[in-house]
Amino acid sequence: MSYVHPEYLVETEWVAARLNDPNVRIIESDEDPLLYPIGHIPGAVQVDWFTTLQHPVRRDFLTKEQFEQVASKLGINNDTTVVFYGDKSNWFACYALWLFQYFGHQNVRIMNGGRAKWEKENRSLVKEVPSYHKTTYRAQEPDQSIRAFRGDVLKQSNAKKPLVDVRSPKEYSGELISMPNYPQEGATRGGHIPGAVSVPWSQAVNEADSTFKTPEELRALYEGKGVKPDEEVIAYCRIGERSSLTWFVLKYLLGYPNVKNYDGSWTEWGNLVDAPIEK
Amino acid sequence: MSLPLKLQEIVDDFASMAREEKIETLIAYSESLPPLPERLKEERARMDPVPECMTPVFLYGEKQPDGGIVFYFDIPPQSPTVRGLASILASGLNGSKPEEILSVPADFFMPMNLQEAISQQRINGFTGVLAHMKQTAVRLLERGS
Repeated sequence: MSYVHPEYLVETEWVAARLNDPNVRIIESDEDPLLYPIGHIPGAVQVDWFTTLQHPVRRDFLTKEQFEQVASKLGINNDTTVVFYGDKSNWFACYALWLFQYFGHQNVRIMNGGRAKWEKENRSLVKEVPSYHKTTYRAQEPDQSIRAFRGDVLKQSNAKKPLVDVRSPKEYSGELISMPNYPQEGATRGGHIPGAVSVPWSQAVNEADSTFKTPEELRALYEGKGVKPDEEVIAYCRIGERSSLTWFVLKYLLGYPNVKNYDGSWTEWGNLVDAPIEK
Repeated sequence: MSLPLKLQEIVDDFASMAREEKIETLIAYSESLPPLPERLKEERARMDPVPECMTPVFLYGEKQPDGGIVFYFDIPPQSPTVRGLASILASGLNGSKPEEILSVPADFFMPMNLQEAISQQRINGFTGVLAHMKQTAVRLLERGS
């Protein structure tokens, strides 16, 4: 048994062999924005989930036109193979990949194991920030089939269709409401969306080297929790980054045809007036 | 409301830096955070686990004979931003009296304009570490000298 869409996942050797390939753009996307300036894969560019990818005013992502400018500045053409990697087992790499897909960029990859594996293998990291020729990038209209909004989530919950809560068990149970001292990422209520099953994101990843678990292990994990490919699935976490990783696993490694990421996640749901909550 | 002199100097330095220089200086602070002294490793092992989204920040404060507090940190190298912010606070406040630490305003870092370098969300790390230092200061104050 192999992954259903293995072409979306590449290994560190694959990346190391393509550092000078003009058709490949490597993007580092981290939780910690200082990791890239400290040292990154030669030729890699940086995106930040907040400063690069979020709308400067609204709580939303960039507009299509703003995304086109970002891609153009990073020297990405519509047919460029874009490889994402990052810290924290690729949470924010998956988040950036998901957003590129949202704007219709088809040719995307995750580097298995992310930054930690690259470092562990003593591969080269450089401080030099590359610059590429600007391109004329044309994004597609946002692909709403991979993004869930609160209304979709409520319908999903009422219809008792699969919702996957990928946060840690204490966040799911409501024991832990928000991050102390993180005023902008907290929620006024704790618990989970009614009907959601708890499958912490980390169960999809090998602790030793941050690579994804085998297809057999992944299938057993999600199907064992009643999350099956024949139904639409919505994944969420606290701000939508850990659930991007689960989204990637379900969509590409296991080939579920219909998976959405709820990027509003608990910072929206746990603050939403009148939203049902289960504890 | 005045800050301890050393912290005020750091704030003023950052305020005058361009974005790139801010990033380099933060990295330098992150790299210069001293390792946890061997004698505190046992304390470290007793630290409560933190939620997975957060950086595990271990902090230990010791009162000096003159009443000032010296802080020691243990923060993983995979989190250079939080290390950098903690290192700034350590450089700016080590040796300060508990009362001085408690009077540092929670938004003291605003003039540093760090959001242009590391985004508003990450600056929250300052609030977290400072709150932690203040709790320690209160504990040491209650315990007396």
